[in-house]
Amino acid sequence: MNQFDHQWRKLIALARQAEDSRDATAPYGFGTRVAACAGTMPFGRAAVPVEKFALRALLVAAAFGVAAIAVNFTTFVTSTQTDAYVAADVVGDLLDLS
Amino acid sequence: MADDSFDFAGCLERVRQRDQSASRQLVEHLYPLVIRIVRSHLPRRVAEEDLAQDIFLKMFTRLAQYQGNVPFPHWVSRIAVTTCIDQLRAQKRRPEFRWADLSENEAEVLDNVLTDERDTTPGDALAARELVHKLLDQLKPDDRLVIQLLDLEQKTIAEISARTGWNQTLVKVRAFRARRKLQKLFQDLQNKEKS
Repeated sequence: MNQFDHQWRKLIALARQAEDSRDATAPYGFGTRVAACAGTMPFGRAAVPVEKFALRALLVAAAFGVAAIAVNFTTFVTSTQTDAYVAADVVGDLLDLS
Repeated sequence: MADDSFDFAGCLERVRQRDQSASRQLVEHLYPLVIRIVRSHLPRRVAEEDLAQDIFLKMFTRLAQYQGNVPFPHWVSRIAVTTCIDQLRAQKRRPEFRWADLSENEAEVLDNVLTDERDTTPGDALAARELVHKLLDQLKPDDRLVIQLLDLEQKTIAEISARTGWNQTLVKVRAFRARRKLQKLFQDLQNKEKS
């Protein structure tokens, strides 16, 4: 145990000895006031299954997206290179024309 | 106290039917549980009764989400804990911790803890408690909560996890991070004392 642990444990042990003697019962009228406030508020609705699974569905969709990119990556790169070649050809044609 | 003799199921059924008397009974029954949590994690300058009221109103507005998977007092205590953390986060700035902010008794207790020169007396307990709360005020709300529950209230990691909804690894990480910060605070205080 290092010096800090010793000091902290000593302080905490001392602090724990101080009992909280404050009254823990609800003040007069508190329950009635809160109940009255609550009566004017909507109690909300239970979480529907769609909401429950929304985050999970989002994660699954993201995983599918990543998988789709990974599977088609080679095709995508090849396609880009071909496009570049075609584009270079067009420029060449233009130069030939001039 | 939130004991087993209270008929939560029956009371909640009546509350859902907008029975105001049942709502009042529920609030009064759970008040000791909620106020203990509020007092343990009370942010500065926030009245405990106002915070308790916020917690109960949240409880009512979310009542439809209660599925009965955990005992109702546990569910309410989780709302209480998260509400207190939200309040602590909203305060953002924590005042710098200085010797000058301590009362005479607190400074004496801290000096005694740091120097280890004499045994503490039971009379030091209240000052120590105040001092611990001032030190905990320097931590991030989540870290503060973990240390409060772990060290002051002597809850287990599993109990903290159940109360907060954080997994056990996260609780351990937060406890470790909080102790590191406290250690730094202690070192700073010792350095200031020497200088």
